[in-house]
Amino acid sequence: MAGGEGQSKPDNPWPSIGWGTMGVVFMISFLIGFFVLGGVQQNGPTLGTWAAFCRAVGLSADSQPAGGPQPSPRTPTRIAWTQPTLARIASGNAQHGAFVALTCAGCHGKHGVSASDLFPTLAGMNSAVIYKQLDDFRAGKRVSAVMGAIASALTDQDTADVAAYFARQPDGLLPVAGEGVPESGRSLRQRTPSIRLAFAGDPERGIPPCAACHGPGAQKLGAPPLRGQHVAYIERQLGSFAQGIRQNDINEQMRVIAHELTPDEMHALAVYYGAADHTK
Amino acid sequence: MQRSSRLALLHYWVAFATFLPAVLLGAWQMLMRSPLPAPLDDSAAYYASVTLHGTAMAYVVTTFFTMGFGYAVAATSLGRPIRGVTAAWIGYAICLLGTVMAVVTILAGQASVLYTFYPPLLASGWYYLGAFLLIAGSMVWVVLMILNMAAWKRDNPGVPVPLPMFAITATAILWAWAAAGVLLELVCILLPRAFGGSELIDAALGRTLFSVTLHAIVYFWLMPAYIAFYTLVPRAAGGRLYSDTMGRLTFIMFLVFSLPVGLHHLFMDPEHGSGFKFLQSSLTFLVVLPTLLTVFSISASLEIAGRVRGGRGLLGWIPALPWDEPMVLAVGLSLVMLGLGGFGGLINMSFAMNSMIHNTSWVTAHFHLIFGGAVVIMYFAIAYEMWPRITAKPLRSKRLARIQLWSWFWGMLITTIPWHIAGLMGQPRRVANFDYSDPLMARMGPLVIISVIGGLVLLGSAILLIVVLVRSHFGAAERVEPLGYAIAVNPPVRVAPALNGFGLWTAIVFVLMILTYGYPIGQFFILKSHSVPAVEITMPDAGGAP
Repeated sequence: MAGGEGQSKPDNPWPSIGWGTMGVVFMISFLIGFFVLGGVQQNGPTLGTWAAFCRAVGLSADSQPAGGPQPSPRTPTRIAWTQPTLARIASGNAQHGAFVALTCAGCHGKHGVSASDLFPTLAGMNSAVIYKQLDDFRAGKRVSAVMGAIASALTDQDTADVAAYFARQPDGLLPVAGEGVPESGRSLRQRTPSIRLAFAGDPERGIPPCAACHGPGAQKLGAPPLRGQHVAYIERQLGSFAQGIRQNDINEQMRVIAHELTPDEMHALAVYYGAADHTK
Repeated sequence: MQRSSRLALLHYWVAFATFLPAVLLGAWQMLMRSPLPAPLDDSAAYYASVTLHGTAMAYVVTTFFTMGFGYAVAATSLGRPIRGVTAAWIGYAICLLGTVMAVVTILAGQASVLYTFYPPLLASGWYYLGAFLLIAGSMVWVVLMILNMAAWKRDNPGVPVPLPMFAITATAILWAWAAAGVLLELVCILLPRAFGGSELIDAALGRTLFSVTLHAIVYFWLMPAYIAFYTLVPRAAGGRLYSDTMGRLTFIMFLVFSLPVGLHHLFMDPEHGSGFKFLQSSLTFLVVLPTLLTVFSISASLEIAGRVRGGRGLLGWIPALPWDEPMVLAVGLSLVMLGLGGFGGLINMSFAMNSMIHNTSWVTAHFHLIFGGAVVIMYFAIAYEMWPRITAKPLRSKRLARIQLWSWFWGMLITTIPWHIAGLMGQPRRVANFDYSDPLMARMGPLVIISVIGGLVLLGSAILLIVVLVRSHFGAAERVEPLGYAIAVNPPVRVAPALNGFGLWTAIVFVLMILTYGYPIGQFFILKSHSVPAVEITMPDAGGAP
């Protein structure tokens, strides 16, 4: 390695070639890797020299906890399906509820069967659903000037009572049954898109079947029965979920699903569920 | 000399005796992961088999082959018996003990962690101990190679070290550096945890240390093939080596460029910054220099041979080459596979393009084409060249040997080309079962089936290899020319000290390793700890057969 020193220097150029080449290659790679590429961000401004270096070393500023105050996370609703909540709903007094419901009749119809597609039919709706929606209106989780004001005037017990009252009214929302229900196991091959969506969903888009929560597959707590609801009302709600105008679904499931639906599909689903004649 | 030959022969025996069952396992694995029905359809058996196949091919076959090759090269190229034969036998025994220990533990279903270990997976301690003994035992060989070269230089002052000896010493130094990573991982992380010395396991540090080994080990496998390219092929073709200096430079560059580059195996690991990944990725690209230098000088050497044999015109020297010689045929087939595999490798080592194929079948296909193809076919040719000279029993049939080489070549292409494509489609590697009824997987099914056919061709070729060697072994003894090496067009008379030793290059490697690995390894001691609970596969319900 140190040979050839007695003679003229160019006789053994290898140490300078070796160290020189490796030094140059290393420095070029180092500068590009640590200062040029380290500073490039996909969707942001190029970082400064020091920030680029830290990032290239693996110590990035964005891995530190943020210093400033964070906005408190928004919750979609105040209701959780705990035992006390369910007990409170179950304690609803339908007789007192009928008295409270006098306020509602103007828009939602006598006995909760609405004549206008601006207002949903409440008769036959699950009491937990009505209770949750009223609480959401009161807390501002579901936004409506009229319903917000009305719900604020109700006590918690009034809410449970009126929910119990509407849940017992006949001639409103119906259970899904009969000709529209496909044979089990064949729903993915259904020709009609609305029935396919309702009973099989669309796995490629991550859409679960509607029937899994809204019936008849299962009736999940907090999911309203839909059969017999106004077509225009269902369609409007799907649109509101899709655009994020309505945000009171507990696990964000309706916002995610509605976001994936096309306007035609929303309409077809609304027609499928709302087809029953409930205005008689 | 006789004792050195026996040493080489026994190393070769272990290598090839391990090789055949390992190929059989590989063929079964291809079948197992294909849509076709496989015997013993059990995923626990699959992972044990992948571990055994990898351990056998990556550690046992290669280490024993290279050690045997090294002893043979040292004795024949220096023209004198090896010094330290007793130590060599002790090293052999340690390696053999380690091999048996590791193989038995894998067969017991207690070590299905794959040959890369990758903590937090944790196997039985006996597997790690076996691997440790095998690798540590090979360090005896490393020391003997360096000592033999140093002793020869002392006895022959001013004379250039013969190229084969220079190259095998480069291989030994490379292996010492490479093995340092895995040995440290075994001693500091895996063995203490496996034998209950610590509670947690530092997975990230373990993976980083292994990355030091993971790329250089590939060059350790590759080196015997390159030594054959430079020192055996030109002679077998009936010509001369184009340039001795190019050979020396090639081996020096392999030593320097194979080590500070291992982080390119950890592109997806979050604990390292992008700067070091880019730096090592960029250094990895330098390996094209010795590769292209080799392609050039081997082509030039073959052209010399072809023209000596009467080849005329621009390309007329190619058909004039003695293609019926196994060594010449092997180099042709090897360079084709090296070319195809090399282009795939450029994609693996690119920081950005890697993300397309990371951990897919593409990677498995790539290293099978390079190592299993380009390198192992040269192992075969070396065996065909050396076996007769060691045993004094010539090959019974060169034709059978050529059929074996051709079938290995086609088998490897049929296996790896569809495998590459399946990888591009996103098929993950190291997975036992695929649901081919899934529309995403269904289109990969036919490709995987073609790969299985290739795997069966390879199995047939491996059986043929053993047949050729064993038949010759039991043939009649004859006088065989001793092993000779190619002479350069201009044989070296005086060589610069830097091209006749490794002091300068070891110093450069040392500095590069500090610069490229100092922080990536050091950070675990000063900034981050990645200690996590180990995933023990030794528990009866996790790893073993049901």
